[in-house]
Amino acid sequence: MTLAAPGDTWGISGPSFLGLYVALALAAIVATAIVRSLLARGHTGPGPRLTPDQVAFLNGGPQLTTYAALGGLRRAGAIGANPDRTLVPTGPLPAGSTALDTAVYNAAGKRLRTRDLTGDPWVSSTLDDIRAGLERAGLLLSRGQRGQSRLAALLLLPVIVLGGARISAGMANERPVGFLTVLVLVTVVWMLLSLARAKTRTRAGTSALASLRTENQHLSPGQSPSYATYGAGAAAMGIALFGASTLYMVDPAFAAEAEINRAVTGSGSSSGGSSCGSGSSCGGGSSCSGGSSCGGGGGCGGGGCGG
Amino acid sequence: MTPYGVGIGWRPEIAGFVAELPGLRFVEVVAESVHADAPVPPGLAALRDRDVAVIPHGVRLSLGGAEPVDPDRVDHLAAVASLLDAPLVSEHIAFVRAGGVEAGHLLPLPRSREAVDAVVANVARTQAALAVPIALEPIAAVFDWPDDELSEAEFLTEILERTDALLLLDIANVYANARNRGTDPLALLDALPLDRIAYCHVAGGAEAGGVYHDTHTHPVPEPVLDLVSALCARCRPPALLLERDGAYPAADTLRAELDAIAAASGYPAVT
Repeated sequence: MTLAAPGDTWGISGPSFLGLYVALALAAIVATAIVRSLLARGHTGPGPRLTPDQVAFLNGGPQLTTYAALGGLRRAGAIGANPDRTLVPTGPLPAGSTALDTAVYNAAGKRLRTRDLTGDPWVSSTLDDIRAGLERAGLLLSRGQRGQSRLAALLLLPVIVLGGARISAGMANERPVGFLTVLVLVTVVWMLLSLARAKTRTRAGTSALASLRTENQHLSPGQSPSYATYGAGAAAMGIALFGASTLYMVDPAFAAEAEINRAVTGSGSSSGGSSCGSGSSCGGGSSCSGGSSCGGGGGCGGGGCGG
Repeated sequence: MTPYGVGIGWRPEIAGFVAELPGLRFVEVVAESVHADAPVPPGLAALRDRDVAVIPHGVRLSLGGAEPVDPDRVDHLAAVASLLDAPLVSEHIAFVRAGGVEAGHLLPLPRSREAVDAVVANVARTQAALAVPIALEPIAAVFDWPDDELSEAEFLTEILERTDALLLLDIANVYANARNRGTDPLALLDALPLDRIAYCHVAGGAEAGGVYHDTHTHPVPEPVLDLVSALCARCRPPALLLERDGAYPAADTLRAELDAIAAASGYPAVT
């Protein structure tokens, strides 16, 4: 322990302040994580019975959700793809189609490409409804909760202000401030990154997905599920739970022609990035909270996400 | 064997369909697809929890090989049987390898006394490791060996008598063999020890180049169902199993095939 000497800024030695600063910064980071964890708790108790559309949105956001609808419609023989990669209706809209199926089927009638589906107004508004339903069910964080979750990173701000004050006081006192400056800069970067990211799925949402994967274990790609046997609803659920590669199992020729991105898949740690993955889905503004929430999307994959 | 009625070959591809059959009492699983040291696959475990019997069906033992059966393969079959708490196991009267070369599929034996001796010896070796009975399945053969000494029925009866094994009769094979050789399938049924049947396989096939192939990927044809009825009129086997190994059709089609087997045999529908 370094004793305070007469020349020390604020009567605290440099090394002691560094230790104090680190302790305060860590405390703020832990506090942020606790606040976020509380916000991400979501609905407790048994959840509602989820449709493939909802499951797909929960797992992989708008893009995977349109893929699930495409898979169901394709399995039912309702749509196909043209050589120019546009979608086309090939049969009547199947009985029991969901609102999203209907919207996607309609978009196929307009010869849209798969990647433009989320930009179609009807599809987009249906996706918004699915998102809103999942938020009400406590499976996705609401826009407000995501905002609060991001803002929780501001708990680091007082620590940074304190560090800044110490740096200016130290400089005025002609004491060395190099180590502290580096530490404060690191803290600032940490806070900015943390502000830009927020989980979209609650813990209830994640556990609902996990139990659905167990329940539908026969649809996992390792089983080579026979979708001819299981039918259209199962095809949509398989894509929803296990990603776009399942669409290649349902109908490889269609999946290739419709330019299905095999890499689109929900993952255990899926966060903001996946649900705002494509520019078109965020363009409407209503489904995402503007540029700020989409801006951080790219960085959300790297684990943690403050949770 | 307990009368299990109508069952279906459990395959991972259609596990979700099999799991939903309310009246199902038994399934068969390819023994080599089950790891003896790993937990039971979830789909099979769920069936076991429902008290559905799971019968391991070996395809790689090569009971008809001139050389003794591989003890490791026998041990695996026995381990899988105990893992699944199986009431019995089944294997083919065929050889799949000779002189260290794998044929990759089931080959028919010449129906000679020498072959009977080889099969009997191998079945005895297998039975020594098994805690449950074994049912032996003759295979479909599109040709006969020129040096056959015994008729099909004599060959099978001799093996069953000397080994005390049960018979797994593949009705689709009986149909295929009779059709391809121009013989009467009913005459074979009349000559076989039908009371030794543990269960029957029923499968679909198709004709290609004038030869009927037991493909397991086509619908069960009407004559095969008629043969099921003819068999059941003589001596109804305790169980009949639909074998489907690919090109799986829609669930409704599979259910209709199971119902057709139930109707032909007089067992209750499992769907």
